[in-house]
Amino acid sequence: MKNRIRKISIILVIFILCLFTTGCYDSRELDELAYPIAIGFDKGEGKFLRMSLQIAVPTKIAGGGEGGGEGESGGMGSVSVMTVETPTIYSGLNMVNTYVSKQLNLSHVKTIIFSEELAMEGIEKYINAISRGREFRGTAYVLVAKGTGNTAEKFIREVKPELESNPAKYYEMVLGAYGYTGFTADSTLMSFYRNMTSYTTQPIAVLADVSKFEKSEDITVEYSTYKKKGRDYPLSGDYTAGNMPKVGNLKTEVMGMAVFDGARMVGELDGEEASYHLIVEGKYGYSYITIPDPEVKDLFVLLNLRQNRQPKKRVEMIGDKPQIEVNIKLEADILSIQSGINYESIEKIGVLEKAVEDFIKNGIERMIKKTAEEFGSDTFGIGEDIKKRFLTWDQWTDFDWKQKYRNSSFNVNVDVKIRRPGHIIKTIPAHGTQKGE
Amino acid sequence: MENKIVFGKREAISCLLIFMCNQLFLSFPRNMADSVGNAGWILILYVSIICLILFLIISKLYKNFEGKDILDIGEFLGGNIGRILVGMIFVIDYVFIIAVILREYGEDLKIISLIQSPISFVLAFFAIGMVIGAYFGLEPLLRLGTISVPVIFLGFLIVLVGSIKYINVSNILPILGTGPTDIFIKGPSRISIFSGLSSLFLLTPFLGGHQNFKKSGIFGIVLSSLILTSGTLVYSLVLPYPTTTSSFLPIYQLSRLISYGRFFQRIESIFVLVWSMIALIYLSAGLFFSAYIYKKTFKLEYHRPLILPFGILVFTISLLPRSLMETIFIDNIIIRKYAWTVTFGLTLILLILASIKKRIKEGSLKNEK
Repeated sequence: MKNRIRKISIILVIFILCLFTTGCYDSRELDELAYPIAIGFDKGEGKFLRMSLQIAVPTKIAGGGEGGGEGESGGMGSVSVMTVETPTIYSGLNMVNTYVSKQLNLSHVKTIIFSEELAMEGIEKYINAISRGREFRGTAYVLVAKGTGNTAEKFIREVKPELESNPAKYYEMVLGAYGYTGFTADSTLMSFYRNMTSYTTQPIAVLADVSKFEKSEDITVEYSTYKKKGRDYPLSGDYTAGNMPKVGNLKTEVMGMAVFDGARMVGELDGEEASYHLIVEGKYGYSYITIPDPEVKDLFVLLNLRQNRQPKKRVEMIGDKPQIEVNIKLEADILSIQSGINYESIEKIGVLEKAVEDFIKNGIERMIKKTAEEFGSDTFGIGEDIKKRFLTWDQWTDFDWKQKYRNSSFNVNVDVKIRRPGHIIKTIPAHGTQKGE
Repeated sequence: MENKIVFGKREAISCLLIFMCNQLFLSFPRNMADSVGNAGWILILYVSIICLILFLIISKLYKNFEGKDILDIGEFLGGNIGRILVGMIFVIDYVFIIAVILREYGEDLKIISLIQSPISFVLAFFAIGMVIGAYFGLEPLLRLGTISVPVIFLGFLIVLVGSIKYINVSNILPILGTGPTDIFIKGPSRISIFSGLSSLFLLTPFLGGHQNFKKSGIFGIVLSSLILTSGTLVYSLVLPYPTTTSSFLPIYQLSRLISYGRFFQRIESIFVLVWSMIALIYLSAGLFFSAYIYKKTFKLEYHRPLILPFGILVFTISLLPRSLMETIFIDNIIIRKYAWTVTFGLTLILLILASIKKRIKEGSLKNEK
């Protein structure tokens, strides 16, 4: 009898507990939620903010973009973009909630884009508000949309991926591509927030823009940064977003990085400088790099460059001036030698390695000096090396590294080892009847 | 009836781990950063050594009172008044701490996921679980604790290992954080992080001998110290100071960071599971001890009828703080700084006085002979 009562009691308890599992104040059905995947912030009228939301349309994503309407394909049609003028981020979300049928949920936001104008003014209050929110994730990427006006909105409206039906995956892949292009940065919300409040490292963000060119005939290299570097021609990394000489259906570009001092944008680096930044940070994966042929003018050698070892950064104080030494070890495989010179040979490989080392060393020194003298922003965390020489936090903050970094001098050592020649181990020149072939 | 139950060292150590390490899943690593910057891990090691020394002294004094818990010692020293006085201090201590921790768990859950639910609704669920757990009694609770501790530890380990990718050694530099004064002079008051050790002084009659008591205490302190240090150290290695002082739930924050490719991410679901398990066991055991001490204090026959009233009392007190900030303030400033007065202060005084009394008694007996 006692056992029977116990069994009945257990069954009753299970049933009662089942009632509680059906939902509570916070129960929200998946199909009652709308998921923004990108949020853009521009300067609004007066003190207001212009917020753009790119909201995923799950039914279109599930259908692989088919039926997107008007001949749309890929990710086109799988998103809906809306813009509101709002005093703050969360009141803007409230406003959007009044006219979209589903409640906004920010847990799938992959990208947060600030206009350059807003970034120049400082974005601390927005980053703090976003970091405080429970739905935003620290792994979302932070971007700065170049130019004047509502650049963040413009960028978001132009994101129409063709190869990807899922726009969230598009952002993940494009912004994670720095691992094999080296032209952008690893800038997540968490790292931005962390560096914004850090006493050693300053934040960076990925530069984004919409292409300047509509047709092939419009393409020009005049927006390239090569002249500032004293080159006669642009190389692949000598561009920032929006200036790449390219046309196509996808008009958006991400290239280069925005440099911050605290939460205020103070400058930008182009694609090549972003690669060097990644190398000094130790986050460079691999990518193709083009360098001028060491022996024949106007021809190039192409390499697949990779970083297998972390760089070593050392700071010595000479009086009140930091002397920074950066030791970098890289490896490379040969992809192409336009001149046909047999650099793969044991005798010549040293010549090529030296040329690559000098090319990268000059580039890195130019880029680091720019961050120190022009921007006054240690985005690499070089100060971490000197921090260990202090015993207490107060001693370290009194040292005022950020001010001292501006007066730093640099010594960069690059060691490149070319490991493999690709499928061709010896270059054989083409044999024709005309000279110079 | 409970006196017939005897636990092994494993159960006692599990109980101590739950009592002392549950704070790691709340705001503990941030509190450490608030106190000494990113040198919190040094502070824990330092405080652990002090705690271990104090425990060895307590253990030595306890040797004369084998099988007696702290209430029995109070009775030995001051008769019924002594027992009631000690009992009431421990009851108030337990009820107050459990109420604050209950509120913290509830508030944290409200921020993490149940944002629209009223706090009383969220707390009610914890309170119901706590009352049911305590109702089952000490033995099922400790056995459940013994099974759960490895699972909780595994979840914790996943979060720690997953965070390795984000570790930057320079984050714990300068090595002495906000300074040696904060660590070594002001630090000892932080011994309250081991105030959960008081549960061992109540478990004494169930431990089957002084050796078990001593070994359980030592293992409990050493393991808790290692777990608390590793959690705080990893948190300090991942985030630089002063960012470490801004996160409301540090280990949860770490679990949110973890992302390995498109598949292995959003690990906080593991955290929430581990977190709920430790909350349930800790609160249930705490409530059980409150009712048990009260029963023993007033020499009542049963403790079970007391569980529901005590549950309601804890639930009501937990609603008193106005906000999460006030709750964290009470936890960090009052409990984690002054709870040692009961766990170590009162216990040591009682044991010293009881030892003196025992010697005097034994001396007078010899004289009589």
